[in-house]
Amino acid sequence: MEIHSDNNFSVINRIVNILNRRRVRIKKLVAHEQEDDFKRGVAVLLLFTTEDMMEKVKHQLEKLIEVEQALYYEGSGLYCELSAKHTEQIV
Amino acid sequence: MDALLTKTKTAVSPEVQDQPKKKISGSEVLLNSLVAEGVDIIFGYPGGAIMPVYDALYGYADRLNHILVRHEQGAIHAAQGFARVSGRTGVVFATSGPGATNLVTGLADALIDSTPLVCITGQVFAHLLGTDAFQETDVVNTTIPVTKWNVQVAEAKDIAGAVAKAFYIARTGRQGPVLIDITKNAQNEMIEEQEYVKCSEIRTYKPKPVLQSTQVEKAAELINSAKRPYILAGQGVLLSGASKELIAFSEKTGIPVASTLLGLGAFPADHPNYVGFLGMHGNYGPNINTNECDVLIAIGMRFDDRVTGNVSKYARQAKIVHLDIDKAEINKIIKTDANIHADAKEGLQALIQKCNAGNHAAWIETFTKLNQVEFDKVIHKEFNPSDKLTMGEVINHLSNLTNGEAVVVTDVGQHQMVTSRYYKYKNPRTNVTSGGAGTMGFALPAAMGAKMALPQQQVVAVIGDGGYQMTVQELGTIMQYNIGVKIIVLNNNFLGMVRQWQQLFHGKRYSFTEMTNPNFVKLAEAYDIPAKKVEKREELQTALKEMLDAKGSYFLEVVVGKEDNVFPMVPAGAGVADVLLEPPTEKK
Repeated sequence: MEIHSDNNFSVINRIVNILNRRRVRIKKLVAHEQEDDFKRGVAVLLLFTTEDMMEKVKHQLEKLIEVEQALYYEGSGLYCELSAKHTEQIV
Repeated sequence: MDALLTKTKTAVSPEVQDQPKKKISGSEVLLNSLVAEGVDIIFGYPGGAIMPVYDALYGYADRLNHILVRHEQGAIHAAQGFARVSGRTGVVFATSGPGATNLVTGLADALIDSTPLVCITGQVFAHLLGTDAFQETDVVNTTIPVTKWNVQVAEAKDIAGAVAKAFYIARTGRQGPVLIDITKNAQNEMIEEQEYVKCSEIRTYKPKPVLQSTQVEKAAELINSAKRPYILAGQGVLLSGASKELIAFSEKTGIPVASTLLGLGAFPADHPNYVGFLGMHGNYGPNINTNECDVLIAIGMRFDDRVTGNVSKYARQAKIVHLDIDKAEINKIIKTDANIHADAKEGLQALIQKCNAGNHAAWIETFTKLNQVEFDKVIHKEFNPSDKLTMGEVINHLSNLTNGEAVVVTDVGQHQMVTSRYYKYKNPRTNVTSGGAGTMGFALPAAMGAKMALPQQQVVAVIGDGGYQMTVQELGTIMQYNIGVKIIVLNNNFLGMVRQWQQLFHGKRYSFTEMTNPNFVKLAEAYDIPAKKVEKREELQTALKEMLDAKGSYFLEVVVGKEDNVFPMVPAGAGVADVLLEPPTEKK
C-alpha cells in the first residue's frame, strides 16, 4: 500500500492504528517527507492480508483527514520497487 | 503540525489587514473564535492547565454561557445531547490529564454515532511535554482512535486556524468529534488580534461526495423493478435533514419504511407507510420481512450487527441498494448491488426524480399482519399486565400524554429498547440515545444538553436504575442552572438487560446484576428537585401528568417488574428471521 498524506505529528500513528484495529499484519514499512515539500509525506507498507480487507482498509485510511490517497497493489515485489523509488528521491 | 494548520483555504478581507492590531491572549483568541463560529453554550469543568481560558471566559459572560458540570463525562454527553437535537456543534472544555481522559468515553460515543463536537482540553506548558509533568497526559495519541481529528496547539498563532479547521471537520461529511489540545503557554501568549476566518476547504479532506448519476440510475432501475421493496432509514437521514425527502420518496414509490434505533423520528411513526423499528429488539414485521423483500434500500445506515443479526442469514434473497455519505461503510458489512455515495438529502432528491410512482399496499399489508401477531403475543400483555407495572405501559402512557412530540432521551438497557419500541416519535431529532457505543450514564447529562438547546421543548429522560447512578452527579448541574428536565427512572433493582441474557442464555445465573439502590426520591430532593415514587398502576397516569406539567425539573421513579424481559428478540448469532416473540422453551 502506498499512502500519500500531509506530514503531521502522529500521522504514522493514525495510519498504523487503522491497520492494527483490523489486525492487518505490517511486514515492512518505510515513511518519509517528500523531498520537494516537507509538508507532505509518503508511506509504503508491505501488508499481509486479503484483497477484500485491503479494499476496506483503503477507504478507512482515506477517511483520515491527513491522508490524501491510499493505493494498493498485489505482490511483495512492488514494495521494493515503490520504496526504492521514494528513497531515491530523498537521496 | 504547521503543515496541517497552514494548508487550509480560507477567505480574507483585505481592508482588515492594514488596521493596527491590539494584542490579546491565546485564550481570548480561542474564545473569539468560538463566538465567530456561532457558539453560545459551553459545557465544561475547569482545572489548572485550562485556567487561563477560564480566566478569559470571565469577561465573556454576555457572549458565552458556560455550564459547569460535575464530571467531564457529563460535559461531553451534555454536548452530545445539545448537538443531537439542534444539529449544531457541541462544545466542551476540560483540563489536562484526568480531565481530558474523562472525555474518552464520550468521544468514542460521539464518533460511532456521528455527533459533531469540538472539545478543547488544556495541556501543560510546551516545555514540559514529555516530562511526566503534573496532570500531563498524551491526549492526542490517547484520543486518535476516538476522534474524527485532533491536534495539539503549542503556539497562540495556531489557535484560530485549529478552531476553524476543527469546526469544519466536525460538522461536514460524516460528522464527528474533534479535539484541540492547547498548551498553557499558548493560552497565555499575547499576539496581535486577527480577523477570524472560517475554514471552507482542506486539501486532503473531501467531505461532500459528488453525486454520480450512473449510481442513481442503477439504483433506480432496481427499485423500479421491485415487487417487494423495503426502505431501512438510519440516522443519516436525520443528520442530512432529509426527512421530507424520505417521506416524499416513500409516498411516490409506495415503499414501506422501517427505522434503525438512531433513525427513529426520521419518518413519522403515524405515517401509513411506517412499518416499525428494526433490529435486535425491533418489531416483528420489519425483522421477518427483511428476509422476504426483493430490494432492500438502506439510507443513512451502516448495517450494524444489532440490525443484521447473523450476517450470513441477512437478506440473502434481496438486491441491496445502499445510499450513504461514508464510502467506508458501503460494502463494509453487506455487499451491495447498487450503491450511491452521497449525502442522503441529495441522493433521495435524485432518486425521487428517477423512480417511478408505485403502490405496494399488499406488501405493506404483510407487515401489518406480522405486527398484529406481535401485538397479540407481546404488546397486549405489555400494555395490560396483571401484576407489577411494566416498562411498556409507562412508555405507552408517556407517548400518549406527549402526543409523540417530546424529546425523549434514553440511557442503555431494557428501558432503551422498550422506549424505542413504544414511544411513537413523530418528529426528527426527538430521539436521543447512545446507539453504537451503548454508553450507560448517557441519558441524564444528554437530556440536560438537549434542554439547553431547546428550552421551550418538553425533554424527558428515561433511565434505568443502573445507568442513572453512573452520572447521577449531574443532578447538581440541573439544580444549579434550573434545567427543566423531566427524569423517569424505571427501577427494577437489576441491570436488566444483562439479567435478561443471564436468564435466557446462562441458566439464570444472575452474576452480579442485582442492585441495592438508595432512596432515589430523597436523593433528588437533596438537589431541590421535586420527586415522586410510583408503585401502583392507579397512580401512574396522574404522576406522569404531574411530572409533565411541572414548571421546572421533576424526578419520577416507577417501580417495575424485576424479571420482566424485552421481546421480540433476535438472539445473538441468530438471523433476523429467527426473531423470538417469547422466551425459548427450556430443554428438559
